[in-house]
Amino acid sequence: MLEVVSLSKDFKKHKAVEGVNIFLEKGETVGLLGPNGAGKSTIISMISSLISPSEGDVRLHNDSILKHPQMLRKVLGVVPQEIALYNDLTARENLEFFGKIHRLRGKALKDKIADILDQIGLKERQNDVVKTFSGGMKRRLNIGVALLHDPEILIMDEPTVGIDPQSRNYILEQVKRLNREKNMTILYTSHYMEEVEFLCDRIYIMDKGHIIASGTKDEIKSILSAESTILIKLERSSDAFVDRLKEIAYLKTVTSQDKEVTVVVPKEVHPFNQIFQIADETGATIVTIDRKTATLEDVFLHLTGRALRD
Amino acid sequence: MKGILFAKLKLFLRKPWLFVIMTGVCVMFAFFTSQGEVNKIPIPYSVVGDSEEMDRIVDELKGAEAFQFQEMTEEQLKEYVSEGERQSGLILMPDDFRIMISSNTGTTSLLQQVVGKAYSDMKYKKAVEEAALSEGIPSAEVSGWFHEAETAPVFSIKEASFKGDDTFVYDPKLQSLFGFSLFFVIYTIAFNVSTILNEKNEGVWDRIILSPTRKWEMYAGNLVHSFILGYVQLALIFFVFRYITDVNFYGNFTTVLLLLVPYVFTIVSLSMLITGIVKKVQHFSAVIPIVAVSMAMIGGAFWPLEIVKSPILLGISKVVPITYGMEALKGATINGWGTEQLMLPVSVLILMGVLMMGIGINFMERRHV
Ligand SMILES: Nc1ncnc2c1ncn2[C@@H]1O[C@H](COP(=O)(O)OP(=O)(O)OP(=O)(O)O)[C@@H](O)[C@H]1O
Ligand SMILES: [Mg+2]
Repeated sequence: MLEVVSLSKDFKKHKAVEGVNIFLEKGETVGLLGPNGAGKSTIISMISSLISPSEGDVRLHNDSILKHPQMLRKVLGVVPQEIALYNDLTARENLEFFGKIHRLRGKALKDKIADILDQIGLKERQNDVVKTFSGGMKRRLNIGVALLHDPEILIMDEPTVGIDPQSRNYILEQVKRLNREKNMTILYTSHYMEEVEFLCDRIYIMDKGHIIASGTKDEIKSILSAESTILIKLERSSDAFVDRLKEIAYLKTVTSQDKEVTVVVPKEVHPFNQIFQIADETGATIVTIDRKTATLEDVFLHLTGRALRD
Repeated sequence: MKGILFAKLKLFLRKPWLFVIMTGVCVMFAFFTSQGEVNKIPIPYSVVGDSEEMDRIVDELKGAEAFQFQEMTEEQLKEYVSEGERQSGLILMPDDFRIMISSNTGTTSLLQQVVGKAYSDMKYKKAVEEAALSEGIPSAEVSGWFHEAETAPVFSIKEASFKGDDTFVYDPKLQSLFGFSLFFVIYTIAFNVSTILNEKNEGVWDRIILSPTRKWEMYAGNLVHSFILGYVQLALIFFVFRYITDVNFYGNFTTVLLLLVPYVFTIVSLSMLITGIVKKVQHFSAVIPIVAVSMAMIGGAFWPLEIVKSPILLGISKVVPITYGMEALKGATINGWGTEQLMLPVSVLILMGVLMMGIGINFMERRHV
C-alpha cells in the first residue's frame, strides 16, 4: 500500500539517502535497520513529507503523496526519534492537546485517551508532568501520542533508544499487539538486530544512504547460509595471530576488535585445528572459540565489513 | 488554533513567574526613575507667629512647581544660608516676608514672585471675606465661591506657546513609565515567540505539522499568545500607575491603551523576524538583549529623543519601532496630539509589523529543507 521509489536526499553536497526502494503491504511489520547516520530518519521525514526528496517519489495506493501530503498524513502515525512532547504538561494534557489538533473532541477524545493510557501503561501517572517521567515512560507516551488518530500505517523511528530492558520489552509487545489486533502496518526503525528479528516479517538493511540487503529474515540470512561464523576470544589481543589467519585462503573474512576475532568460513570447512595451531605458533592464548549460524548482525558485518554498533 | 492557544495558556499558568517578576521589575524601574524631584530647588523656610493666614500661605507655597519648601527653625535656616548650604531661605511673617540669600541668582527673583503672589492672593481673599462678613455672609460660603471659580471658571484661559526647535515638553514620570515598559515588554514578547524554536528543536512542531492543523493556525496560535501576554503586561503596568500611584495620563488613558496595540503587534513581528533569522535558541537569547537595549537607547526609551543631537542616531531612530511607540504615547499625553497626528506613528508601526512578520515567517519556512 505504501511505496518508496528510488528516493534520494542531498544535504548540500552530502548524499544522506540514495536510490532507496521500500514497500509496505497492508498488515506487515517491516524493519529498517542501519547504523547511526545511515539515513533512516531522513527517509522517514521524506515519507511523512516533512522534508522534500531531491529525487524519487513516495506513493500511497499508487498515488504520489508529494502532491497531496494531506492524503498520507491522515492515515499515518509517526513516532519521532526524539521525544516530542510538552515537558511542562501532564501526560493527559499532552494527549488532550495532540488529540485536539487531530480534531478529536468531547467523548471521542476522552475515550481515546483512556484507551491509549491503558495501552501504554501510564494510567496511574496520567496527571504527572512529563518532565518527572523516566526515559521509558516518556518513550511510551511518545508512542501513545502517535496513536491518537487511529493511523493505518505507523512509522516508528528508534522507539526504544536509551531505555531499560523492561520498558523495551513492554514496547515491543505493544508494537506486536498493534500489528496483530488492529492490523496496523508498521515500519520499524532500529539499530538493534534483536528487535527487528523479533518484530518484523521483512527487513531492509541500510548503510550510508543505501539499501544493502532486503527480504524476509530467512532470505537475508541465506546470504550467509553457505557460511558460518567463528568467534574467537583471546586472552590478549594479538596482531600476529590475526595476520596469520588472514593469509589462509578459505577463511573468507577475518575481522578483529580488541581481544575478539571474527572469522567467516564456508559451511563445510572445519578450521579449528588450524586455528589452534596458529595460536600456538604466534603465542596467542585462545580463551573461547565458538561456531554459530548466521544472524542479521553477521549479515551486516559480511556486507559492510563493520559491526552494526560500535 | 484555539487548541494551540489553550495549551500555551496552560503552559504559561504553570510557569508564570518570569512574567510576574518582569512586570514587577518594570514597575519598579519606571517608578523609581520618575521619582527624582531633581528639578525642584529646595528652599528652607521658617514661620514667625502662628495664624490661619500663615497656614494658607504655606499651603499655597507647597503647590509651587519650581520649589520644594522645607520647614525649619529660624536659627537653623540662618545657618544653612550663611554657610551656603542653600541658596536662599524664607522667613514668613503675618504681613510680610523676608528672603535671605547667600548668593544672588536668578532663583531669587522667581522666589520673590512666587511668595509675593501667595501673599497678595491671601490678602485679596481675606479682604473679600471681610467685606462679605460685614454683609452677613459666612466665610465658609465665600471660600466655596473661590473654590467654584477655580474649578469651573466663567472664562477659561489656555496658555499656549510656540515651540521652537530646542524647546520640548518633558514629563519625567511619563517618559520613564513609557520608556521602561516599552523596553521590558520586548523581552516578554520575544521570549514567548522564541518558544517556536524550542518546539521545532524538540520535534513538537513537526508533530503538529503532521496533524490536520494548518500552518497559519500554528503561527497564529503562537503569535496571538505572545501578543496577549505582551499587551496584558503593558496594560497591567499602566493600570498600576494610573490607579495606584495616580500618574496623570492627561486624561487620555483609553487612547494610551489603544496605542499599545500597534506597538505590541510590531514587537511580536520583530521577534518573529529574529526567530526566523537565528538558527538556535541560544543565538536568540544572545541577540535579544542586544536588540532590545540598543533599540531602547536609539528609540528614546531611556532618555527623550529631543535631547539627542547626532543626525546619525536620529536617522537610525527612524527605523526603530520604539521611536514610534514613544512618539505615539507621548503624543497622546504630553503633547496633546489629535487623532490625525497619532495616525502617523501608528501607520509606521503597522507597516513595520506587517513587513517583519512576512519576512520572518518566510525565513522560517524556507529554512525547512
Ligand atoms: N538537516 C540536515 N542537514 C544536513 N545533513 C543532515 C540533515 N539531517 C541529516 N543529515 C545527515 O544525513 C545523514 C543521515 O542522517 P539520519 O538522521 O537520517 O540518520 P539515521 O539513520 O536516522 O541515524 P540515527 O540512527 O543516528 O538516528 C547523516 O550523515 C546526517 O548527518
Ligand atoms: Mg535517526
